Parts: sequence; C-alpha cells; structure tokens
Amino acid sequence: MSNSEINLKILKLFFNFKIKPSDFINIYKRNKDIELTADYFSNKENKNLKLFDKDKYHSAQICKNFNSIIKYLYKNNVSVFNISQKEYPELLKEIYFPPPLLFCKGSSAIKNKNLKIAIVGTRNCSDYGKEVAAYLSRQLSKIGFTIVSGMAVGIDKIAHEEAIKESGGSIGVLGTGIDIEYPYESKHLYKEIIGNGSLITEFLPGTPPLKNNFPSRNRIISGISIGVIVIEAGEKSGAIITAKSAIRENREVFAVPGNIFSDKSKGCHNLIKTGAKLTESVDDILEELANYIKNPSYAKSINFNEMANNGSFKLNYSGDNIFKHELGKKENAAVNNNEGLKNFPDEDYAKVYNCLGYKEKSLEEIMVISGLGIKKVLQIISFFQLNNIAKEKNFNNFVRGN
Amino acid sequence: MFFKLDSFSLMGIEAIKVSVEIHISNGMPSFTIVGLPDKSINEARDRVKASIINSGFKFPMKKIIINLSPADLRKEGSFYDLPIALAIIALSGQVSSDLFNYSSFIGELSLDGLINPVRGILSMTQAAVQMKKNYFFVPKGNEDEAGLIKDIAIIGCADLAECIKILKNKEEVSKFVYKSHGSGNVCSNKHRVDFSEVKGQSRAKRAMEIAASGMHNILMIGPPGSGKSMLAERAVTIMPDLNYDESIEVTKIYNLVKRRKYELIIERPFRNPHHTISESGLIGGGIYPKPGEISLAHKGILFLDEFPEFSSRLSESLRQPIENKSIVITRNNVSYKFPCSFMLILAMNPCFCGYYGDKSKRCRCSKKEVEKYWRRISGPILDRIDMQITLPRLKEEDFLENVFVENSCTIKERVSKAFTIQNKRYLNDIINHNSEAGVCYINNWINQNQDLKKVVADFSKKSRLTARGMSSLIKISRTIADLENSDEITQNHFIEAFQYKILNNI
Repeated sequence: MSNSEINLKILKLFFNFKIKPSDFINIYKRNKDIELTADYFSNKENKNLKLFDKDKYHSAQICKNFNSIIKYLYKNNVSVFNISQKEYPELLKEIYFPPPLLFCKGSSAIKNKNLKIAIVGTRNCSDYGKEVAAYLSRQLSKIGFTIVSGMAVGIDKIAHEEAIKESGGSIGVLGTGIDIEYPYESKHLYKEIIGNGSLITEFLPGTPPLKNNFPSRNRIISGISIGVIVIEAGEKSGAIITAKSAIRENREVFAVPGNIFSDKSKGCHNLIKTGAKLTESVDDILEELANYIKNPSYAKSINFNEMANNGSFKLNYSGDNIFKHELGKKENAAVNNNEGLKNFPDEDYAKVYNCLGYKEKSLEEIMVISGLGIKKVLQIISFFQLNNIAKEKNFNNFVRGN
Repeated sequence: MFFKLDSFSLMGIEAIKVSVEIHISNGMPSFTIVGLPDKSINEARDRVKASIINSGFKFPMKKIIINLSPADLRKEGSFYDLPIALAIIALSGQVSSDLFNYSSFIGELSLDGLINPVRGILSMTQAAVQMKKNYFFVPKGNEDEAGLIKDIAIIGCADLAECIKILKNKEEVSKFVYKSHGSGNVCSNKHRVDFSEVKGQSRAKRAMEIAASGMHNILMIGPPGSGKSMLAERAVTIMPDLNYDESIEVTKIYNLVKRRKYELIIERPFRNPHHTISESGLIGGGIYPKPGEISLAHKGILFLDEFPEFSSRLSESLRQPIENKSIVITRNNVSYKFPCSFMLILAMNPCFCGYYGDKSKRCRCSKKEVEKYWRRISGPILDRIDMQITLPRLKEEDFLENVFVENSCTIKERVSKAFTIQNKRYLNDIINHNSEAGVCYINNWINQNQDLKKVVADFSKKSRLTARGMSSLIKISRTIADLENSDEITQNHFIEAFQYKILNNI
C-alpha cells in the first residue's frame, strides 16, 4: 500500500470510526508497522476500544463530512504525513505521544533537515519582549535554524515574521484545523509563512480553536524542536507548558531574563532557577547546542559561511566570548547619537536627552529632572520623536529610541 | 373700521415684524383670528376678552376679525395677546394716542389683565430697533432683559390698565421709560472650579490652553480617572468673557429655550449633554424649532464625554454644524437658522476596558477589540478634530503632591491676549479664530516665512500626515505663536504642534 492510501485509511479511522489517536499510537508503538496498525483498527473496529468523545477532541466530524475534507486537502495542497513516513519530523517521532497524522501546508520547512528551535512567549508581550523575539528569531534564522512557534499573537507572531525574512524559515504549529485561520491578528502570516516555511497541525480540518487544543499543540512545538526559547512568560502560561513538555521530552530549554518587577518575566525566571539556560544572545544558544551542531547530519544545515562572512561570528564553541552580536552594534549606534548631540540647537536639548533612558519616564518626571517648562520640554520631545531619538511608550511616557 | 399695530414673531433666534390688523364691522358678534395662528394664539380670544372686561373696558359686541400679517407665515406663542387687546380697545374708541404709530407691543395677558413675561424678548427688541420704533411696550417681567438694548425706549407694563394709562399720557411717557440699574443685572464669575485643581497632566493642560486660544476642537483619550471631564469643565474658566455683541447673541439663544430670570450671559457656555440625548435635542428641532445643545454651546464649549457611546447618527450629524458654524432647520416653508460656533471637546477611553496604553494596569482587550472600539469614531469626525491628546492615569504620589500650578486667571490672561491678536487678524473677515482659517491664510503664513516652508516640507515627509492634517498642524502652530505674541510661526512652534497629533503615533 502506498503512503497516501494508508493516510486515507487512517484518516477514515479517525473520522468515521472515531478511533482515539492515543490508542492508535499505543498499538503502533508495539508493532512499528503502520499498515498493520491501520488494519488492526479497521478489522476490530468497535471491539474493546473506547471511542473518543467527538465534542471534546476532534470536532471536525460535526461540521464537515469526510468527502469535503478530502476535497479540501487536495484543493489546497495540504500534504498528510503519517508517523512512519520519512517526511515526518524525526524528533517528533521520539516523543511520548506523537500525533499519528500531520497535516502540512507548504512542506519545505518540514522536509528539510534544518535544526528546528522553538521560540515561545506571552501573547501580551512588552516592547522588550518584542525586541528580544525579533532579534533572536532573525539571528537564528540567518544562520540556518528553522524557528518553530504557535502562530499566536505577541511573541509567536514576531518570531514567525522575522524568521521568514531570513534563510531558515519558520514552522507554525496550529491548535486548529489546517483550514482555520486563528487568531484574526496573524491572518496575514498564514499566507506569508508558506513562502518560507510550513504550517502543521495534528487536528482534522474543521477543528475550531478549542481551549484544550492548545496545550496539546504545545507538545508538538517542543517535540519537533531541539530546544525551546522562552521569551517573557507568566507563571502559568502556555509558554511554560511548552517548556515543561520540552523538559519531559529531553529538549534544551532557554529562558530570556527580564525585568524582575514584571509579571511577564516571572515564568522565565522560574525556569532559570530550575536549570534552564539563561539566554542573552545567540552564543548562549549555540553553546548549549554544540553537540547537535557538531553532528554532521545537522551541521549541513547551519550556514557557517554566513556566520564567518558576518565577521562577528566565529566558529568556536569553547564557550568564551564567541559571538559579538547585534546588541554591540546598538551600543555603537547610541554612541553615534551622542556625537549627534553636538548638533542640537541648544543645551536644553542635551538636558532632556540625558533624562531619557531605556526605562520609560513621564513628561512630569522629565520636567522635574531637566528643570525646564512644559512648553520647552514638549518642543524638544517632539523634535526627538521626529528624529527617532525618542519614542512615546504608553501614554505620555518616553524612552530613548533606537 | 380698520386699525393696525406692530408686533413680532420669532424665527429661530431672529424676530421679524408682524402687523396685528383689526377690522370691526356690524353683524353677528364674533371674534376671529386669521393669518396661520396656532392653538396658543387662537386661545388668545378668550384671554383677551376676559382681560379687557376685567380691566374695566368694554368688549365690543360686533364682528371682529384679526389678521396677523404676513399671513402666510406660521405663528405661535401667546405674546400677541397685548397687541390684540390694545387694537380692540383702540378701534372701539376707548383710547386714542399717537404713540401707537411709534411703538411696538408684546405681552401675554392673564384673565385679570396682568401682563405676563414672554420668551425671546431680546431678539424682538433688536428687531424693534431695526424698525426704527421709538417705544417698545413689554411685560414688566421682561423689562430688564429688553433694557440691555440701549437704542430704544423700553416701557414695562404690569397690566393692561397701566398700559392704556401710559398710552393716554403722551407727554409723561418718558417717566415710564425703563432705566437700567447699572451692572446689577450682569451675572458675576460663578465658576466654582479652577485649573489649578488638575494635578499632573502638564501636556493636556498645555493642549487645553492652546485649544481654548484658537478654539481648536480637541479629543482627549485616557483611561477612567485620568481627569478628562475635569479638564473639560475647567476649559471655560480659561477662556475670555464674551464681549457685548456675543453676550447678546448667546443670551438670545438661551431666551428661546426657557423663560429664565433674566441675566446677561457673559461667561462662555459649557454644555455637557449625555450620550442618550435625542437628535433634535443635540442639533435643534421640534415643530416650532428650538435651538439644540450645539447652539446653546454657541461661543463656548460643547463637551461630549464618552464619545464612542454616542450613536453614529448623532455624531455624524455634527459634521455639518462644525464646518458651517450654524445649523439650518427647515419646517414647511420656513427655514430657521441657529448659530453654533462652538469649540468641541471629545473625551473617550482608549478601549473597552479603558486601560489600553496604561503603565500599571493591564488592558484586557485584544487588539481586535481595541480596533473595533476605535472604529466607532468615524474618519470624517476625526478629520475635523485639530488636536488629539492622551492622558495617562494619575499616580498616587502625584495625587498627594502639592506642586505649584497656574490657576485659571493667569492662563485666562494669556488666552485673552491670543484672542485679541486673532480679532485683529480677522477684522475684515467673517471668521474669528485660527481654527477657522482657510487655505489662503495657511498658504500665506507658509509662503511669508521661508524657514517655516523648509521645515514643513521636511517634516511632512517624516510624519506621514495628510494634507488636512498638515494644515491643521499649521493652524495649531499659529495659535501657539499667538500665545507667545509672535508674528511669525517659528520652527519651535511648528514642532510643538506635533505633540497634539498623537493619533498618528498610536
């Protein structure tokens, strides 16, 4: 039987006979033969098997019939991989409960052997979180990592957006059926990501975004990646669930530290306390993943040339001061700005400039510190905003621009 | 037998001349009023009859026809009672006087002959002046109000008998002419609020000062408790008092709405309608149209709190009045025009939960919900709002802090100066304030000043503003320059104006 025939058979099992995916995997793990397993279930369909609750798990059968699903899959170039296929991600096969079937749109990122690394974090992220996500995602993608995330808003969205701009690409793991675009805010991503990446899901087409789907999606995110980077996560957030399942499946966990007063970084700090790698830069990640990178089967994917050409990256995993990253460049930029200070019309500008920092300050604070009147401060702030020296954060709070 | 008296009818805030014509002939005794009278005028027949008899005169038992001319104009109100009664008494030969030709009459009669005050007397007095009448007979209760107009002799009559007595003594008529009591009838500054009570919010206060100086419309965005309503209420206290002409105009509008104990309004009005107000309540309307809130806010401030809660019909209906500075309401054949040159202050929360952009409290809305909330305000309305500011929530320490802040009087002085400069600038134009300045003014300002021209060109590239946004920016900078008594708009004025255009940054 060809793979597509088997896939069709399994799909039918799930859809028509309401076989529980976990039962399927249990049997499969014993006999290691997908065809046998499929036959096993189609022969003994209703004997000794618990049917899964249709409302709870795969609700697709409620809203669509089998034929329309097949039609949809063909029409939209959705590939279906079962667990025995070689296209099915190797790492995902190893986890405790791998999905028997994967639906996949835009299969390039799934098929290639790039190292995959997950970037997860809160939906409600701060500007700092956005910056970190964009920086790490872009850098990792540049040197050949494929960035995996959950297509949610916030950190996920930024990680995807930045990753698809570089060579590594991105994989979005959905908590819905492959035909449903959720959430609304990242709608444009669904089209863009297919150009340089993939969308995958274990859920049957038509599955709505149910609450329980997302934790089980998280196990796939950590499952197909060699490590999980957590940027900004609350104490009980989905990102922490992902990190925990990563620990269970023996993946690396990286956590980016944040402001100690911010609720959004509490989860990350807990992870660091319990042994996750504190991540400041790409070097921290590469250092931890040295074993994978040295492995010739993966090493192909990492673009060392890119790193070498960049001048800032060196091929040395000994751990000490390896990579000079973008943050260094930023400091240089700040110095340049300081040079620009000489061009300010008068010294009041310098006064206000010195008030501004990376922590937001309100107008009133700036007035008190600089000792200037509101009129003057507003003029100067406006001037800074227009020249990208300062920017407004929240209402009436200002920070230094980039 | 024919006789004629002059009286008035109200058309919006203007009064027009109405002649009360009477014809008495032999025949079946009857009493008819023609000339499109409404119910209250038709009922005048009974009031007039009773009060003539109760004042000790005779009511002729003949065929009486009253015509209110022009006859094709709908008339309402009880104020034709006095001229009708006088016409009947005069034509039946009980009194004769030359004064009838030089005078106008207005007043509502009681059954016992007393003359009750009526509304809209200020407009009528002005009309009487235009008709070059020497005397205007008004109810005693309206005497103070009519007395505000200096160019005509006002005679206040308590009842019908007194009125007849005055008419008979032509020589002594000057004794009865109203003498003003000086400033006693002018209301004093009654603000119980002051600008210094607003803590923090330096940018919003500065913005409010600029907005008040140029009568720029302003939108305030901030979480609950940030002081939006507080600022709006205090905006009136920093605006200069109305001048005489404006006072009369505003008072005229107020007199149409209710019979209040007369006061000349010298403070700028502040109107704060609730968002459940009806369309005719806001814009003006009714069978006999009355001014709405927008006209009551004439020369002052219209404050719409929680603006997204106003129905779209209501908020869209504001578009035309904002542009035209007047509203025309048409009924049957007649159009009523009410002035409504107001400064619009809008206040809103940034999102459903109210905490979007707040530093300490987390906003519970998704981005989609925030967008949805913003979509409640239409683009055309936002286009007409020159200034937009955000107000952060006050921190606890700011609340207790006792910093020296300017009080309303100090700011009012600066604003008054800016008003004077603008008055001088627009002396030969119909507009009064920078916010109304048209394209020709704006081009003029830019072209006069080569430095400014360069800066404008430079920044318009950087800031993604539309042409309309740019011109409102220049209007704001003009006002900022006026506040500093500067003839030219400098680069600094222009740059500061960017602070009041936050909608481009959000």
